[in-house]
Amino acid sequence: METLDQIGYGFAVALAPENLLFVFIGVLAGTVIGMLPGLGPMSAIALMIPIAFGMDPTTAIIMLAGVYYGAVFGGSTSSILLNAPGISGTVATSFDGYPMARQGKAGKALAIAAIASFAGGTVGVVLLMLIAPWLAKFAVSFGPADYFSLMILGLTAVVSLGGKNLTKGLIAAVVGVVISLVGIDSQTATMRFTFGVPELFEGVQFLIVALGVFALAEVFAMLARRGSGGGDGAITSLRLNRREVRTLSAPTARGSLLGFFVGVLPGAGATIASFMAYSTEKRLARDGATFGRGNIKGVAAPESANNAAAVGSFVPLLTLGVPGSGTTAILLGALLVLGVQPGPLMLSERPDVFWGVVASMYVGNLVLLVLNLPLIPLFAKVLKTPRAVLLPLVVVFCMVGVYGLSFTTFDLWLLLGFGVLGYVMRQNGFPAAPLILGLILGGLMEKSMRQALQISDGAWSTFLTSPFSVALLALAVLAPVGPLLARLRRGPAAPSDASGPEAGDGAPDGGPGGRPDAGRPESSGNSGGPAGGGEHTTAEGR
Amino acid sequence: MTPFGFSNRVLAVVVALFAIGYLVLAFRMPEFTAVEVPVQPSTLPRWLGAVLLVLAGVLFFQRGAPGEDGERVPAAGSAGTAAGTGDAGMDGGSGDAGGEGAGAAAGAAAPRAFLGRIPDARLELAAFAGSIAAYVLLFEPLGFLISTAVYVFGASWYLGYRRHWANALVSVGVPAVLYFTMSEFLDVALPTGPLPF
Repeated sequence: METLDQIGYGFAVALAPENLLFVFIGVLAGTVIGMLPGLGPMSAIALMIPIAFGMDPTTAIIMLAGVYYGAVFGGSTSSILLNAPGISGTVATSFDGYPMARQGKAGKALAIAAIASFAGGTVGVVLLMLIAPWLAKFAVSFGPADYFSLMILGLTAVVSLGGKNLTKGLIAAVVGVVISLVGIDSQTATMRFTFGVPELFEGVQFLIVALGVFALAEVFAMLARRGSGGGDGAITSLRLNRREVRTLSAPTARGSLLGFFVGVLPGAGATIASFMAYSTEKRLARDGATFGRGNIKGVAAPESANNAAAVGSFVPLLTLGVPGSGTTAILLGALLVLGVQPGPLMLSERPDVFWGVVASMYVGNLVLLVLNLPLIPLFAKVLKTPRAVLLPLVVVFCMVGVYGLSFTTFDLWLLLGFGVLGYVMRQNGFPAAPLILGLILGGLMEKSMRQALQISDGAWSTFLTSPFSVALLALAVLAPVGPLLARLRRGPAAPSDASGPEAGDGAPDGGPGGRPDAGRPESSGNSGGPAGGGEHTTAEGR
Repeated sequence: MTPFGFSNRVLAVVVALFAIGYLVLAFRMPEFTAVEVPVQPSTLPRWLGAVLLVLAGVLFFQRGAPGEDGERVPAAGSAGTAAGTGDAGMDGGSGDAGGEGAGAAAGAAAPRAFLGRIPDARLELAAFAGSIAAYVLLFEPLGFLISTAVYVFGASWYLGYRRHWANALVSVGVPAVLYFTMSEFLDVALPTGPLPF
């Protein structure tokens, strides 16, 4: 019952008028900043830190947390409306959200995103309060070899969900890792693939690639379509009927749980969580083949998962002082500046901060819902912009996002290059998602590999001696192979098999190893990647 | 027409060439000898290059017509109504699977303005990429405000936006709002060019 008292105390802190006001400001600012393609939670929090300096630490961290989940939601808005995810965590939302918008269901997609985010955040907060300590212990027991295997599984899982051609998906993933290795090697200071270009010494920023292969490639595709086939800007009803609510409740619940547990693992985050939730739902759904063409479940699952993961990533930050993602690493920095040291002692020394933050998350989620549902028609108006004006404007937003990061025109050329690459890739059936994930995970993958081999004195068998690692690697092989086996087994002998249509799209419901990640906590961790760009992950090196 | 769609063989050769180039660079990379490390800077790149080469080999022997996964585009002059193309969810990777709904919806709508002026989509795309390149070139010399206003106005006009006053307003207004938001509130200094602010 002590916990209940503390939660009550936390709500008293969070509901103080001043804190309430700043939750509101934080969520609003986060949503607006997150909507701009190119600006994600990391930049949003970083931008708000100067404002937080003068505040009481509790109020400050409450506001920054509001900025965090506001930005995650804002990112889904631009994913749905423009197919321009500013944050890696909302890439999966665009898979079905954008097709929905193009079918004139932008309002519905945004409403689902808002509600699923709320559900995910709420489930996340409840779990955070109940089982944070236990979970933290479990996540910490992962060694570097396990992490490496986790990331391999994360990659192959995304490839297997990615589409019809496995080979092309794997090529995209490998190229993503290849891009992530450009720059100065962090351990040996060796230049790798920089060709003497100083701008490449620090590597290729995630944002440039993401804006290129998603937003800019989309601009090219819109032009090639001659502006046809787009959403006509009609803001359809936001309302969901009872059947839709019933359809969505299970994916949302699963996405919330999965998202939270993935978010808790240090290094994992909203990105992996949303991809995992998406692939799980695609596998589970009877209508899995319609994912990618505007299935409402494909919006609800990643949205609930990324918000739950945003909450989950606070667990290691608050209980261990270890940031679970690039974003929480920035939050950690802000806390330290404010004179609060997160860690095991924080609960006893600064209970007001700990429980205040927890309770404010709940309040913040409510504010997010109240604020965003009425504003949806406004957001959806973006689609009414004539295509001839919208295309150049999206280009400008991409340019500003990239230039504001590095202040060099070299990165603008890179952006254009990745835009062309992204368009050619999509014209030839190469999925872009594995490329992005490979880029995000690449740096961390190499680091885990090094740590593991350092510990084992160079013996590669270390990846096969840890039970976690073996299980994860096995799943990593099964994830893409399972659907193939299923297809082979049905094979040419039974083309008229009753479940034929589903098998045709590689929906792996029949495969023996086809659904390795069905939402259990042990396996939901199967992808310990960093949430933000690879360069922000130094904090979790151990 | 599927612009820039290639057969699997062509794609495989391109990937293989890239992989070979990458492997050559990876094997030329100097070994790190100051301290003994189990993983050299070149270890992972070598693995990646090898895997990529294998994957390219697999791709080479897969069937696939040029651009079968790509998005077909309407031919010139039939814009709008000819839109029943496979409209892929771009990265969900469903390729050109279906898209009946979108196609039907677009087909039913009145023909909308035809974007651009060159009938060949490939040339049109190249021209558009060229305009972005020109924008990048002028970004710093002319400054953000001027280059962006010129780019937005020019591109919108070229793509077929006919309301010139609205266009002028947008091309000046949006960059101005962006510029002052970025510089005043976010302390992001965009290039000023010849303008004094």
